[in-house]
Formats: sequence, C-alpha cells, structure tokens
Amino acid sequence: MESLEIPTFQPRLRVLNREQALAIHGAALEILEKTGFKMEHPRALKMLADRDCEISDGDWVRMPPHLVEEALKSAPKQISLYDQKGAKAIDLTGENSFYGTGSDATFTRDVETGERRRAVLKDVGNFATLVDGLENIDFAMSMANPEDVPIDDIYVYVFAEMVKNTTKPIVFIADSGRDIAKIHEIASSVVRGEEELQRKPFILNYSEAISPLRFPENVMEKLIFCAQKQIPLCLPSGSNAGGGAPVTLAGAMALGIAENLVGLVVHQLAGKGSPFLFGPNVSALDMRSSVVCYGCPEWSLTQAALADMRDEIYGLPIWAFAGASDSKVVDAQAGAEAMFSIITALLSRANLIHDVGFLEYGSTSSLEMITMANELIAMSRFYVKGIPVNDGTLALEAIERVGRGGPGSIFLMDDHTYDHFMEALFLPKLLDRSRYDAWKDESAMDLYKRCNMETKRILFEHEVAPKADVVLKEIEHILKRT
Amino acid sequence: MSDFKGLTEAVIKGDIQTAVAETQTALDAGANLQDILDKGLIAAMDQVGEKFSTGQMFVPQMLRSAKTMQECMKLIKPLFQEDELATKGKVVIGTVRQDLHDIGKNLVAMMMEGAGFAITDLGVDVSPKDFTQKAQEVGADIVAMSALLSTTMPAMRETIEALQEAGIRDKVKVMIGGAPVTENFASEIKADSYAPDAGSAVIAAKKLLSIS
Repeated sequence: MESLEIPTFQPRLRVLNREQALAIHGAALEILEKTGFKMEHPRALKMLADRDCEISDGDWVRMPPHLVEEALKSAPKQISLYDQKGAKAIDLTGENSFYGTGSDATFTRDVETGERRRAVLKDVGNFATLVDGLENIDFAMSMANPEDVPIDDIYVYVFAEMVKNTTKPIVFIADSGRDIAKIHEIASSVVRGEEELQRKPFILNYSEAISPLRFPENVMEKLIFCAQKQIPLCLPSGSNAGGGAPVTLAGAMALGIAENLVGLVVHQLAGKGSPFLFGPNVSALDMRSSVVCYGCPEWSLTQAALADMRDEIYGLPIWAFAGASDSKVVDAQAGAEAMFSIITALLSRANLIHDVGFLEYGSTSSLEMITMANELIAMSRFYVKGIPVNDGTLALEAIERVGRGGPGSIFLMDDHTYDHFMEALFLPKLLDRSRYDAWKDESAMDLYKRCNMETKRILFEHEVAPKADVVLKEIEHILKRT
Repeated sequence: MSDFKGLTEAVIKGDIQTAVAETQTALDAGANLQDILDKGLIAAMDQVGEKFSTGQMFVPQMLRSAKTMQECMKLIKPLFQEDELATKGKVVIGTVRQDLHDIGKNLVAMMMEGAGFAITDLGVDVSPKDFTQKAQEVGADIVAMSALLSTTMPAMRETIEALQEAGIRDKVKVMIGGAPVTENFASEIKADSYAPDAGSAVIAAKKLLSIS
C-alpha cells in the first residue's frame, strides 16, 4: 500500500461567527461616524479634515467609513521583526504566535530575596538577559519602570539597557516625539544605519490612546514619527470592560477597535504602507478592586474574538497578551492564570503576545514567572501542533515487533521509541514528574523554587552576544546628551 | 423625626426614586437638614463603604449609592444657608499636569463625596498653578492629586512646591495616588498621605483631618 500524506489538523479555537464579527466591526464604524473622537494633535487633525472628516468643537472629529477601508488596504498584511543581528526572528502573519514580556511594572520581585521592591535599571538588564536565554520567549519589553534614572529620559535609558542585554527584537515605549527620536537613534546605531533599521526592523513601538475616544498630542506625535520612519507600531487604548469602555465585551471591543482604526487611519495618512499591528487591549476592570485584570478570562476571550475578526475582516496581524496574573506572588493562582492565557492565545491564533511575567495586574514583574511561562508555552506549543498521522507515527511495525516479540520485548527498548520519543512526547524541564522519594531528596522543591534556581542559573551562565564597542560608545554618547 | 431607616436603606440599595421620595418626606415632616444629611445620607454611605470594603458590594453598586446620595442632596442643598452646611472637609482634586487619565481620580472623588467631603474636581491635566489657585479660592483642607504615568509624577512635586510658594502648604493636607505612586515617593516629595485605592483614600482623608 502506498503511503499517503495526511495533513495534520491543528486544534484552533473560534469564538465569533461571521455575523458577530461584522456586527462589532459595524458598531466600530458607527462610533467613528456618528459619535466621533477627540484628536488633540493639530497636524493629525488637519490630515483628517483634509480627508472628508467633519470637525466640530475645535478638535472633535467624525470619520467616514471609507477612510477606514483605504487604511486597511494600504497597511501591510505581514510584519517581520528581525533580531539585532539582522536575522528574521518574528514573522507576524497568518496564525503565527510569538511571546514576549511586558513593560513598565513599578515593582519587581527580587530574585535573591523574593521581596517586592521598586524596580531599578539593573532589573531591565536582567529581564532582557533572561528573555535572551529562554527559547520560547521571542521578544523583550522593559518589564520595569526604574526609579534610578532621570525620569524625563526614562524610556531612553530603559531601551539602551535592553539593547545591551539581548539580541532579540524589542517592543519599546516612549513618552513623546522627543525621546522616541533618541530611541530611534540608538536602534539605528545598533544595526549601523537608519536604512538598515527600516529594512530589517528589530523594534516595535507600543503606545496607547486613552479610552474613551481621546487621542492626546504626544501619543499621535509618536505614531506619526513611527509612520514616517516605518517603525512598526501598535496603539491599543485600554478600552477595558467597565473601565475605559462599556462593561459588556461586545461594546468594549467595538470601542477599542474604533480607537485602533483611528490610529490606523492617521498612521496610513502619515506614512502609507507603514507597518501597523492591530488590536485593542480589552481586559476587564475588576468590580471589587477596580484594577485592570491580567489574569481574567475576558481578556483572553476578546483577543480570541479579535483573531476571528482579523481572519474575517481586517487581515492585519494582531497584538495580544498572555502569561500574566493578578496574584501578588508566583503561586497556584499565578500558574493557573498564566496557563489559561498562554494556551488560549495560541489556540486562538494571536500573533504578538506580550505581558509574559507580570504579577499583580501588571504592577509587579517576576523573573521566575517568565521562566515558568517559558515551560508553559512549550507545553502549549506541543498541544497545538496536534497529532501527526503517518506510517512512522502509526508505528504498525513497532507494534508487530513488540507484540510478537515474546517475553522481555517492550516498547521502551524498541528502536522506534528511541528514534521518535524526543519529538513524539513533551519533555518538561521544570514541571516535576519525579518519583516521590527523588523529589523529597531534592529538597522537596515546588515549581516556584525550581523556577527561581533556573532563573539564577540562566542569569549567571547565559552569554548575551556583546555589542560592538562603537555601538556602545554611540549609546553612551546619546545618553549623555539626554 | 429621627428615623431615617427608609432613606438609608434606599441609598444603600441605590434606589434613587425611593431615596428622593424619602428625602422629600423628611423635609415635609420638618426634619433637621443636617440630620437628614448626617443621620440619613452619610450614615448610609458609611454602611456602603463598610459593605464595599468587606467585599459585599461591587464598585458599580457603590457608585449607584453615591449617585443616589447626590440626587437627594439636590433637594437639601438649596435649603441650607451659605456656609451653614457642615461638611467633613473641603477637597480639591485633579489629575496632574500632562496626565489625561481620570478613571481612578473620579472614583476617589465619588467615594470622598459619599463620605461627606465637599469636592471640587478640577479634571485632568491640572497645572500646579490651578491646583494652588483653587485651593486658595475654596479654602481647601485637602489637595488630592492623581497620576497614571510615571512621567507625570514630577508634577506632583511641583504642585506641592507651588502650594509652598503660595504660602498655603501648612493650611492644606496633600494626598497622592495612582498606579506608579508609592508610599516612598509620597514621603520623598513630602506629601502628607498616599492611598493605593479609592477606599483607602477616604480613610486616609479622614485620618488627615482627624475625623472618625
């Protein structure tokens, strides 16, 4: 019998039907056309006024749907991010998923003492080094808002620190048009030139408008800068259910998408064809503490819905979150919430997935949490690959050999097992499956403790490819000028 | 008449219609205005605060109670002679310069109002000068500042300096809060109090003014 190539079904999740997707999109367009939005950047306002938008009360804008259609047409359907040596690292297209850390946590859990303390610049370096050393974490964000650098240039210092401690792509924050120019200068220096950076970007800017429907001047300044320099960018707005947006998820999504579309339209008017990563952050406001939740099912659900809308309507790669928690420590809650968002982000085909390693609704960062998430991502990636079915995996010959092999014949001894076990099974590194006595003899460590030790090992042993002296000198020079 | 049970229950339930009707009934019966306020509305909001902090009430329910109180106040307030209305204290509140985020600040303002403070809300992007002028104008007991962005936190220090320069720093208590704000930062810039959330802001405000 000739063997046939059987395609492998890869389990994926859908949470919206086409009618739901179109209705949310329609609502977003209606918000822009009927309600409108506040555009506080004079040039962006003029661009919109020149293109059929209706302006009232100075800076209140109502936008016709055809502008959205045009912007969706001109924005690229695929965004590639490169590592800092110029190799393609992140291909944002179709159902590809990539995980990375988050930005700007005020506190961190100290890896030596476990204590929650204010973050410092050294933490940014440690987080970047850890990201560099973990195989399932694909990009770095700062993870910290350090208290020991001048606050006016905090994002420049943080960016420089990341560059020194990882070769992977970087998603960065800036405050305004002023510091983003310096960050762009550093990034250009790393790849030896602005043109090279444009050709093979290793950076993506994360910026936020303010829900509901407000576009501050400094935010649009950064957006226009990125559009003109072709720096990939995303612009979620914090349209969290019950916070910046209505409490019902459909309305919160419609608002967040409307806000994203405003960003996209201005972005494409300022730099036609520049890369724009789509997607609002639609989490939920906790109805007791009023924090924005990082471990809730709502956020995972809305980003799954957004992936469906991408496939039905937008066609642009999307921004997402996973691997975070509202718990204050790396405990059972942190593990449960991290895994929930990690596997659903993958199943729902989200593209660029950030916030891995956050505790305490994004206020505290944890190195151990990232190390743990690295393993949970591996587990999830194994799951979503599905079950390849072919002659090799059906293993009829091995069954025959062992089944008829008589006493002493076991699969564990068979060559088929030896040849296939590495890819056939998921082999955890940190999730403990040891026998009881072995576990007890190894100090009866729990997962947190094992992650702590593994984190320290990586920070101690992992070598980040050093930057050339000339690059380091230029960075110092740019920092001195700030 | 000293029984405001119907009124307090309606405020706790967030039943605006009943609460307004109960307030009108009390007024018609000639009840003391300050009593309606203290023993009816504020007593109800104290219970709301208690229920909220023990997890028996959610934020939207607490805010509905606060709104219910506001609606009742619309009936009472015009009947007070000027300066006759005894409040827990006067609070000038706002989000600091160049920061446009206001959800947290609004929540604090609502809860403080519910607790019996007189609130002047300056909105967002409030300059040190505007904080200072308004504090002088209303004779504020407390200036409360909010910031969501770490890059706007320095405006808190500048506002405190502006209060100092205007010579009213020792007349007002300064409270700060917001995601990046910490206890340490508060003491560094010599604010009088830091509150991590809206519920604690009320408790902190009462403590600052030595109100039980």
